[in-house]
Amino acid sequence: MASILSARDIRKTYGSTVALDGVSLEIEAGESLALMGPSGSGKTTLLHLLAGILTPDSGEVSWNEHGAWQRVDQMKEARRSQLRRESFGFVFQQGLLIPELTALENVALALMIDGVSRPQSEQRARQKLAALGLEGLEDRRIGQLSGGQAQRVAIARAQVADAEIVFADEPTGALDSHTSEEVMTALLGATTGQGRSLVLVTHDETVAARCSRLLRMRDGRIVQQTRSIPEHPGITYTEARS
Amino acid sequence: MTLRVAWLLARAGTGSRAAAVLPIVAFAVVTALLLAVAGGAQAFWSWRDQTAGVYQVLSAIALALLVVPLLALGGSAARLSARRRDDRLSTLRLLGATPATVARLTVLESTALALAGAVVGVIGYFALVPAVALIPFRAEALGIPALVLAPWAIATAVAGVAAVAAVSALIGLRQVVISPLGVRTRQNAPRLRWVRVVVGAGVIALALALTNIVQIDVGITVIAIVLGCLFGGTLAVLNLVGPFVLRLLAGRQARRARTAAQLLGARSVLESPKAAWRQVSGVAMTSFMAVFAGTGVAVLNAISGSEGATASDRALVTDIGTGLTITLVISFLMVACSAGVNQAADVFDRGDLYVNLGYLGMPRRIMDAARERTVMWPLVVVAVGSAAIAAIVVLPLAGYSLIVAPLSLLTIALSIAAGIGLVWVAMRLTRPVLTARLAAAA
Repeated sequence: MASILSARDIRKTYGSTVALDGVSLEIEAGESLALMGPSGSGKTTLLHLLAGILTPDSGEVSWNEHGAWQRVDQMKEARRSQLRRESFGFVFQQGLLIPELTALENVALALMIDGVSRPQSEQRARQKLAALGLEGLEDRRIGQLSGGQAQRVAIARAQVADAEIVFADEPTGALDSHTSEEVMTALLGATTGQGRSLVLVTHDETVAARCSRLLRMRDGRIVQQTRSIPEHPGITYTEARS
Repeated sequence: MTLRVAWLLARAGTGSRAAAVLPIVAFAVVTALLLAVAGGAQAFWSWRDQTAGVYQVLSAIALALLVVPLLALGGSAARLSARRRDDRLSTLRLLGATPATVARLTVLESTALALAGAVVGVIGYFALVPAVALIPFRAEALGIPALVLAPWAIATAVAGVAAVAAVSALIGLRQVVISPLGVRTRQNAPRLRWVRVVVGAGVIALALALTNIVQIDVGITVIAIVLGCLFGGTLAVLNLVGPFVLRLLAGRQARRARTAAQLLGARSVLESPKAAWRQVSGVAMTSFMAVFAGTGVAVLNAISGSEGATASDRALVTDIGTGLTITLVISFLMVACSAGVNQAADVFDRGDLYVNLGYLGMPRRIMDAARERTVMWPLVVVAVGSAAIAAIVVLPLAGYSLIVAPLSLLTIALSIAAGIGLVWVAMRLTRPVLTARLAAAA
């Protein structure tokens, strides 16, 4: 499969703390990648660097935009914001939806920011919400939804602009196991199910097991990679990395 | 025990100290302006001649007009200091502190910050006095001695500011649920009922009845008290009806919003029409009075230019105009401070949300535009709306003064526009707070 995002030997430090110490990886179109590791291992920093939220101290992050590779780490903030609006999607632990807006408005807002008209934005938002089983709940405010429903609204928001890749930071961290499973199904269906990619940070082995690739991190490095083998569900291939 | 815990919380890190500065500054502004206005009123009430009564009544009206924005600013500052502690307070609940302890801590801290601000405000008042003393009334400057308040009056004002802080902190706490598992705000948009309009009509009827008492031959003090009550009643009506009107207009705007900033701004007002109203309500009465009384002044000015008018008449008309402008400026100044403090509090409260909206690619200009709309839009509605209503009420006079004294009306219009501009500047000044919050997350 074609690689759509690439990181080469990236390093990031916060003061004297080394958050990432020379990490390299490729993300392929249509794959789901889980990042696991203890707190402080650098997984959220890696997610933020890949998504262009942060820039590395050294190394390269490149994005394959319709066959042309572009250096994300060299883009100005305005261009990276545009990239995040148009090509990337985000799902956070608490959803971080805007409480005073309705579910429909929260999803439509992602398009309106990009200059799409409100009627068009709402039409697409309505479709995404319906695809995630939220039909009839469009006009509810976020506080009137359950945790799982709110996370599905966040997924709809992440995918309303047909993002090529969705970054999710602990998307099931605040949910019970049953709801967590439902949300993962929705998240995978809205991303890899549509040929898009998913990169998620999680502490939950069950969640990670549903991804096609798992990277374990420690002290700012990737220490282990596990791939599932599509032809043989349930069988995985694990390699140590240094 | 409460005192010991409050001291521990107060000794928190530098970020917390920086956050405490905002309410202190706000309370300082409140106190300095309150004392400056009270000093001005004192100057009038020391006069004993024939026309002194008119000045005294007018100063009572000006004070009544400034009470609402003063309370709003005090309340904003107190809520900011209370809400800033939400995370720590929920941790305390987790550690076993009772809701009563949490309430005591909040009130204690808000009051302490208010007292600190009030003390700074007293210094600010003394710094203001020489400038205020230059303002001419009856064709001569007020002078410093007339403006300096007695120590007991200053102490009362400081105590009053602290009391406003304590009460506002308690009210602010009612709006959040501080549980051991965290802080939750209300999830449902508040509903405002038509009963507000009915109660408003009742208060107006009562006010009209009071007006009749003034027609009976009574002393100047009684007139001042009745007029004060009349204003209090009218302000109460405005406070009842204002949020309702804002909710109706914001609902309409939310449905018609075309851009992200318009939608966010309208929804924020809709989330709490009372809060949106509270910030700008002081301007409602001031704008109304500016046009209402300003038109009268313009007409009187035209008449006083005629041969029959005495020098004293002409001075009085000029002084009413001066008083109106001062009241308008102070009112807008307080609204500007209140809006600035509230917006800074909003950035602190919703910091995570703004950071994550930035992650989603929302440009900062849209966040700023949305924040500014939540204040500027209700402000323009209230200021222009109140001024328009006043102009309609005195339409024949307004039409006449537009012909004979267009400059006077233009001055009022420009004052209102400048006031709106002042609040806009205050909003712009909070931009670095958001920039700093976003930069801290990067």
